[in-house]
Amino acid sequence: MLSLNNIYYRYPKAAQDALADVSLAVNPGEILGLLGPNGAGKTTLIAHLANLLPLQKGQISINGLSLQQLRRKSPASIAIAPQEYAFYPSLSVRENLHCFGAIHSRRDLAARIDRALVFSQLQHVSQQQAQTLSGGLKRRLNLAIATLSNPDYILLDEPTVGVDPQSRAFLLDAVKDLAATGVGIIYTSHYMEEVEALAQRIVIIDHGKVIAQGNLQTLLAQGNALLSFEQIGLSPETVGQLLAPFGQLQTPQNLLLNSQNTPSQALSALEQAGARISHAEFGRFNLEQLFMKLTQRSLRD
Amino acid sequence: MLLALIRKEFLALSRDLHGLAALFILPVIFIILMSLALKDVYSPHVAQLQWSVLDEDNSDASQLLIAEWGKNSGSPIALPDNWEKAVREGKLSYVIRISAGAGEALGKTESPDRPPLLLIAEPAMDIGVFSALNASIQAAAIRARLGLFIQMAAPGATTVTAATFNGELLAKAERLSLIKASTITSVQHNVPAWLVFGMFFVVTTIAGLLVEERSTGCLNRLLSLGASPLTILLAKVIPFLFINCLQSVLMLAVGIYIIPLLGGDALSLQGVDYLALAAILVCISLAAISLALLVATLVKSQAQASTIGPMMNILMAAIGGIMVPTFVMPASMQQLSHLSPMNWALEGLLDVLLRGGDLYSLGSEMIKLLALAVICICLAYLLFRFKKS
Repeated sequence: MLSLNNIYYRYPKAAQDALADVSLAVNPGEILGLLGPNGAGKTTLIAHLANLLPLQKGQISINGLSLQQLRRKSPASIAIAPQEYAFYPSLSVRENLHCFGAIHSRRDLAARIDRALVFSQLQHVSQQQAQTLSGGLKRRLNLAIATLSNPDYILLDEPTVGVDPQSRAFLLDAVKDLAATGVGIIYTSHYMEEVEALAQRIVIIDHGKVIAQGNLQTLLAQGNALLSFEQIGLSPETVGQLLAPFGQLQTPQNLLLNSQNTPSQALSALEQAGARISHAEFGRFNLEQLFMKLTQRSLRD
Repeated sequence: MLLALIRKEFLALSRDLHGLAALFILPVIFIILMSLALKDVYSPHVAQLQWSVLDEDNSDASQLLIAEWGKNSGSPIALPDNWEKAVREGKLSYVIRISAGAGEALGKTESPDRPPLLLIAEPAMDIGVFSALNASIQAAAIRARLGLFIQMAAPGATTVTAATFNGELLAKAERLSLIKASTITSVQHNVPAWLVFGMFFVVTTIAGLLVEERSTGCLNRLLSLGASPLTILLAKVIPFLFINCLQSVLMLAVGIYIIPLLGGDALSLQGVDYLALAAILVCISLAAISLALLVATLVKSQAQASTIGPMMNILMAAIGGIMVPTFVMPASMQQLSHLSPMNWALEGLLDVLLRGGDLYSLGSEMIKLLALAVICICLAYLLFRFKKS
């Protein structure tokens, strides 16, 4: 199991942590949906796993081995398919696979390249320069390169950006197939329906913190009890004190109600204290609605 | 619409400070450097050359001749013990050898068997300067002979002919060289100079490649696969070393085979120490590639790579004696030229191609170039790691 425990990270000269006490785990064969608005800390988290940033505080381990030990023993056991087309445009598909495959190891290289070509269905363009491929084919090559080292875990950072529905369907099936072979996958995307369709468990992070985590049904059930409101007149601290008896305040605008309380009770408490409620929502959510409730509607950087 | 687009361009320009710096500051530096370097190009510069005297005659006539020569050429320095080595290595520009009996020979009307005055010049001396010195030493010999005639003989007592004042019979200049090349031509100077310039142009290519690798995410992918920053940097050395070798072969071949077809003089490699040539070319290449890797880790965009790289090359070439020979520069600029890696590279190549240099005599240039390579690689590695974290 890949586990991250209490990860903190602050960029040089930054005023606040990019990651603050982040903990999560991914099992072999599991697809974990990692969600968060832009700037939430997803890329920083992935950079840690991909050996691109040093660990400042916390621990990352796989089956008891620390990430550093694992990197020394088997550096390519965690592979990454970045959001960018991370391959050499002037090289052919096969040459790219050969290049990245050989960096991992020359053992069974030809066989691994053939497997990656079959997996990504790129055999017919294997001699074609990567820069001449369509957007969908480029995404497939990006994914194929990540599978070359037979990794235990793959980090997929928005792997379907800019592709047509057919290519997207192919890529999603490919991700499911990978997971079925026992590969643990961390899947980040802004397309909520993709994450709903793929992920067994979901982690939502914002401002560097995990704000929700669990399997999809649990999270959506949470949504069933989530009271979302906008109020004028009370400070966040006062709101926190007033609503503490009614449930768990996730953000100053989101209250996860206890089962014995109703939304009207909580809202009445606020109004009696002088708040004017301008908007309130309570009820069943899909993932996108839940995400918007938890991370707020305000635009991000 | 046009105004809006023009405004947009101005805004974009104003926010690209590095680009603006390249557009304004570097050309200003270039103008200053070139103006200083060429300050003395139209004035005689033989006076700046270091020279010495080997006076085997040690007569009043020879002392007079040295004093006369010094009026236009500055004071001579003491003759080094191994003066031939100093001249061959270019540390001493020339030595005037006054043969025993020169005073007596100059005082006679008969032509001597061989010129009593010999100006022995360094092998890589510019052909224009060499010709000027040759003419000057002959003129000095004629003046000396005329002076002696006036002192020694009563008017009409001496019979002179045209041959009496034939400067070529009295004095001559020759280059000291181990190279068997019959003549030193402009191509012997130009090929090494522009070969060095071309080899250093890998700076732009390597910087551009690394920026592209960074922007496409390839670099992150390589790092995530366990490739270390040092491995990634060193992986660029071998291919570009190969490219530089190809450049060298091509440019030397152009000098040897193509220039003569176009009516120019052929580059001669007769007597060249090929091991020394290969060694200095490898050192130049390593210095150029390492400098390129340092620039590549410093620049942030393709625009910066494609501007800073060429500008840096032009500046190094301008002060390094590639565009303007260092001997035409004022003394201060000549001192400055020793700071340019292109100058070390050029001097190394001239040592091999013109001065008969071997591995031993190339020591200082090779050490400087290799030291630059090591320093640049270390800095590039540290910067790479710093940026990664």
